[in-house]
Amino acid sequence: MRLSRPNFKSFIAGSAAALALGGAAFANKPTPGGWWLQEAASPVMEELTRVHNIVFVIICVILLVVTVLMAYIMIRFREKANPVPSKTTHHVGLEVVWTIVPVLILLAMVGPSMRLLYMQDRLPETEMTIKAIGNTWNWEYEYVDYENVDSFVANPLDKAEAKSKGVPYLLATDNALVVPIGTKIKVLVTSVNNMHSWAMPAFGVKMDAVPGLVNETWFEATKEGTFYGQCSEICGALHYKMPIEIEVVSKAEFARWVANDGAFATRNASIENLPVTRIAAPK
Amino acid sequence: MAGHAVVEHDYHLIPPSPWPFLSGIAALTWGLGMVAFFAGLVERTGENPMMEWFFASGLDTVKASALGKGSEVSGGWIILLIGCLFAVYVMYGWWRDVARESEAGDHTPVVDIGLRYGMIMFIMQEAMFFVGWFWMFFELGFFHKLRAGWNPDVLENASEYATSMAPGVTSVDAFNLPLINTLILLLSGTTVTWAHHALIHGDRKGAKWGLFLTVTLGILFTVFQGIEYVELFHARGEGHEAWIGANAYGSAFFMATGFHGFHVLIGTIFLAVCWLRMLKGGLKSEKHFGLEAAAWYWHFVDVVWLFLFAFVYIVFAISG
Amino acid sequence: MVAIPDTGYSSYDENDEKPSFFARWFYSTNHKDIGTLYLIFGIFSGLIGGFLSFMMRMELATPGIDVFNSEHQYLVFASMHGLIMIFFMVMPALIGGFGNWFVPIMIGAPDMAFPRMNNLSFWLLPTALICLLISFVVPGAAEGDGFGGGWVMYPPLSTTGSPGPAFDFIIIGLLAAGFSSIFGAINFITTILNMRAPGMTLHKMPLFAWSVLVTAFLLLLALPVLAAALFMLFTDRIEGGTGFFDPSRGGDPQMFQHLFWFFGHPEVYIMILPAFGIVSHVISTFSKKPIFGYLGMAYAMVAIGVVGFVVWAHHMYTVGMDVNVKAYFLAATLVIAVPTGVKIFSWLATMWGGSIRYTIPMQWAIAFIFLFVVGGVTGVMLANAGVDTYLHDTYYVVAHFHYVLSMGAVFGIFCGFYYWFGKMFGVMYNKYLAAAHFWLFFIGVNVIFFPQHFLGMNGMPRRYIDYPEEFELWNQVSSFGALITLAGVFFFFLMLLEALVLNRKRVGDNYWGEGATTLEWTLSSPPPYHQFNTLPRIEGSDEH
Ligand code: HEA
Ligand code: HEA
Ligand code: CUA
Ligand SMILES: [Cu+2]
Repeated sequence: MRLSRPNFKSFIAGSAAALALGGAAFANKPTPGGWWLQEAASPVMEELTRVHNIVFVIICVILLVVTVLMAYIMIRFREKANPVPSKTTHHVGLEVVWTIVPVLILLAMVGPSMRLLYMQDRLPETEMTIKAIGNTWNWEYEYVDYENVDSFVANPLDKAEAKSKGVPYLLATDNALVVPIGTKIKVLVTSVNNMHSWAMPAFGVKMDAVPGLVNETWFEATKEGTFYGQCSEICGALHYKMPIEIEVVSKAEFARWVANDGAFATRNASIENLPVTRIAAPK
Repeated sequence: MAGHAVVEHDYHLIPPSPWPFLSGIAALTWGLGMVAFFAGLVERTGENPMMEWFFASGLDTVKASALGKGSEVSGGWIILLIGCLFAVYVMYGWWRDVARESEAGDHTPVVDIGLRYGMIMFIMQEAMFFVGWFWMFFELGFFHKLRAGWNPDVLENASEYATSMAPGVTSVDAFNLPLINTLILLLSGTTVTWAHHALIHGDRKGAKWGLFLTVTLGILFTVFQGIEYVELFHARGEGHEAWIGANAYGSAFFMATGFHGFHVLIGTIFLAVCWLRMLKGGLKSEKHFGLEAAAWYWHFVDVVWLFLFAFVYIVFAISG
Repeated sequence: MVAIPDTGYSSYDENDEKPSFFARWFYSTNHKDIGTLYLIFGIFSGLIGGFLSFMMRMELATPGIDVFNSEHQYLVFASMHGLIMIFFMVMPALIGGFGNWFVPIMIGAPDMAFPRMNNLSFWLLPTALICLLISFVVPGAAEGDGFGGGWVMYPPLSTTGSPGPAFDFIIIGLLAAGFSSIFGAINFITTILNMRAPGMTLHKMPLFAWSVLVTAFLLLLALPVLAAALFMLFTDRIEGGTGFFDPSRGGDPQMFQHLFWFFGHPEVYIMILPAFGIVSHVISTFSKKPIFGYLGMAYAMVAIGVVGFVVWAHHMYTVGMDVNVKAYFLAATLVIAVPTGVKIFSWLATMWGGSIRYTIPMQWAIAFIFLFVVGGVTGVMLANAGVDTYLHDTYYVVAHFHYVLSMGAVFGIFCGFYYWFGKMFGVMYNKYLAAAHFWLFFIGVNVIFFPQHFLGMNGMPRRYIDYPEEFELWNQVSSFGALITLAGVFFFFLMLLEALVLNRKRVGDNYWGEGATTLEWTLSSPPPYHQFNTLPRIEGSDEH
């Protein structure tokens, strides 16, 4: 392939991509000791995070109000401070208020929540379809659109293997699901025996795999890198040990991967030189 | 029993009674029997003969004897049998006490109202029990096409699954035995009402006749249901197994009608007991809640059947 | 630890002849004795359930599998922990225990409507628990003994997934427990509707009786559906049996989830409503004020009960339901926050202007309100179907329901236990041991379950025996909390022993004094073997 003469655009694009990936590399799996949602890597997850934060603020305020009110009451009306109890047991105004106000709060909450719900469900025009089949205890993937890429099973790596490869145990698999960035991908989820659930937190995706049904969900990755999820429906002894690993690559890289019957030209298509390959990508 | 204290209320305080405790033990035995009888799933390794005797599925031995192969005795049989007999004994003892207390006049008006509340609540929970079965049935019947759409390769003949006993076997002819059974139950509903009113008007003879007829009709219903089951069972003659395990429809059909049949049996026994009590001179014309409760229960069973007939037999048979 | 004072108490030997020991405790037809049996049973089950959860916490303290000898065994512990805590600890304690003890007294009745059936309700529970305990040691799945399919028992994992008889025992056990509760419900409804003392209209009935009435209706309407679902599982498991949940025969595995949660969601309110009732009394007693907005309180519970029947599928947001169905369940679920809010604010309003005494039961009650709100608002977070796709089956859910159960329901239990301790056993508990119990337990459970919100948000799924080390920190904290909680439970038993063995001087009829206005405080402590031989007469208008 022929490198175009160095231009700043590509340089910036490259470094930007590298930076983005630097971020993504951190976002793609649970953060050590983390206590917040995983970083979003899809439009749905971005929306989901937004809605979560809205609801979060609301419930924190409610909790705060209740706590402060209670603290005040506990101090102000303790036996010493208030020896003679009042006898009021009714106040229609108050009762109406604390019925109406919650209703209003909830109404405010419903809007964004519903938008997210429908956004998640209604998959836009699909550009690519993948079938994920749950099995006790691993995932099998089919690339419905590319018959030259034959389906493969993604098994979890055991501790030693994971260590030697320097990948996270219980998250990494031997065969990652490879998908292109910025592509609307429909995922058909089903199972051959017990129920499982195909989940990818960073994409805001979770869909039960039920024998006898084919469930549909979708995602569009907005960051390149390797992303990890875990089976999210109890499916027996090794429920904890059937992770989901997705490798998001550039469209060009993916095209090459497909052309190569589902293998990277050089299996270690390292993420660093992706910008280069992107420049060279045939239109 | 309040001791020396003067009791100035009409409520019925009952002295300690063994029956509840014994019921607990009976239930335990019955439960062990149920598991042992149906769940003979322990693979025989010869390691633990005791456990294997216990879990040697009674069901297998039934099948064996049904197919004429000699049936070896298994734990399931014995324990389940003991459990059932134990339960029957407890119920007999318990309700005999109740009847005696009633004769002894412990059932003051307020207690009588309490009994009515109790019976109504019991019938309500029975109704919810059947809601469960009908819900299952409707889901399978109405949404099978949806599920088929989800996954054609698993459910290519889903509609058949959901509306007929088994592929090929057209579902039961609603207007044959089922229709007769419907008429039988409706008739029995009138006879039990006749019995009730006869008793109220002091016509014990008529009441006895009414009850006798009702019980007979109940038994007749059960017999016809049995015949129908056997016929369906023989539908496997055409190579299909039109039985409880055939498919979703078969399961829903047999479990729903089966549980209804079971309730018919209970109702029949309930009425028979009232009949016997009448023969023995029990049940006064002014106070006979036993009979009323039995009648309520019978009407409930009747209504459930009407629903079964309308949906399980007619609607799905046609839509299938 | 049956230390009910037998004689030497005035209102006893005067007008009581009590049956012999065996007749009294095995053939009992006395609502107070049966209530005590229920409480003992609840404590026993609480120990088992607590032990199971403690083992789980120890396993989860660090990544890797070091406590359990198989993954299956962990799942067995988790599943049995859930089932035992719910069906054999909370329900018997709240409904069977306190309900039996105090509903008849509060409504001015001498006993329950059907004393014999009352005892049947109790004796079905040991039967049920025995079945569950047997299931621990009989073959479950290929991976080992016991049933490890979660307390929700979804097929196919609970049918083809666990072929062994272990799960059949659980089915039988739950059926027994279910019928126990159904008979109990019939009994409570009849008692409350038919045996109220002259002058006690429904609108003058104490809130605890109201809560039990609503709870009883929930039980009556929800449990039979579970029974049907369990029967379906049972017959599906027989080879050559039914195919309700077998897709290859046209069945639908998800149908079980609908049936289960149609029972399951009312069930969660069954576990909290009686606690609401107890807390209402405690708050009003120690604020020395009548409850604020009595009618609102009563009908809020009715509303919760009614709405509780039409929100079940919020447990099933990720099973692939139609989006419009999800939208409905989202909205319906949010509605429940409103009546619950009415209760919270009415409690606060009851305390407002009161003269508050911080006795042990009051501490539990206040902690209950606070922690229940925490659990409630996380519930509202989960109710948003969209967000729930992320949080479903993560530890966020575990945190949510432990805040409402292990802190809602259980705090309600302890609250009532200390409130009525003297009334039930005639002796007072030791303040300091009780305080130690409260503080250790309060701190402990919060340390256990608050970090689990973080785990959930960071994406840790439920029912995992081992986890990536990213989750280690908060799991360690959580497990440490379990140790603190254990110490708390220890002090609870110390308190019991101290009080019941030393058997100090008896407490008076109304040892809480002003504010304790319900009928039980007009009786001796403990009350006579048969109270109200002459029925009390309730004067005054409905204005409460
Ligand atoms: C005592 C038991 C109990 C109680 C009371 C509740 C109460 C609630 N629960 Fe909970 N729940 C459980 C027990 C309980 N839950 C259990 C056991 C599970 C898990 C089952 C399993 O999968 O194993 C579960 C799971 C669960 C889920 C499914 C999560 C998932 O699996 O993905 C959801 C989703 O909607 C939910 C919602 C709610 C809501 C909205 C309430 C509401 O009732 C809460 C209402 C209360 C408040 C909101 C706080 C007080 C109100 C105010 C201060 C007024 C102002 C507030 C607002 C305006 C918001 N719960
Ligand atoms: C009432 C219900 C209840 C209660 C009290 C608890 C209490 C506790 N639970 Fe429980 N838990 C569940 C219901 C409950 N749990 C359910 C339904 C599940 C889901 C199961 C599943 O996934 O299928 C679950 C799952 C669950 C998990 C997740 C397992 C997994 O997903 O892998 C964990 C992990 O930490 C856990 C821990 C604990 C701990 C440490 C306590 C501690 O708080 C325990 C401390 C001890 C006590 C609170 C007992 C004290 C009470 C008494 C001694 C009786 C008192 C009685 C009288 C006074 C009358 N529980
Ligand atoms: Cu697969 Cu859990
Ligand atoms: Cu719920």
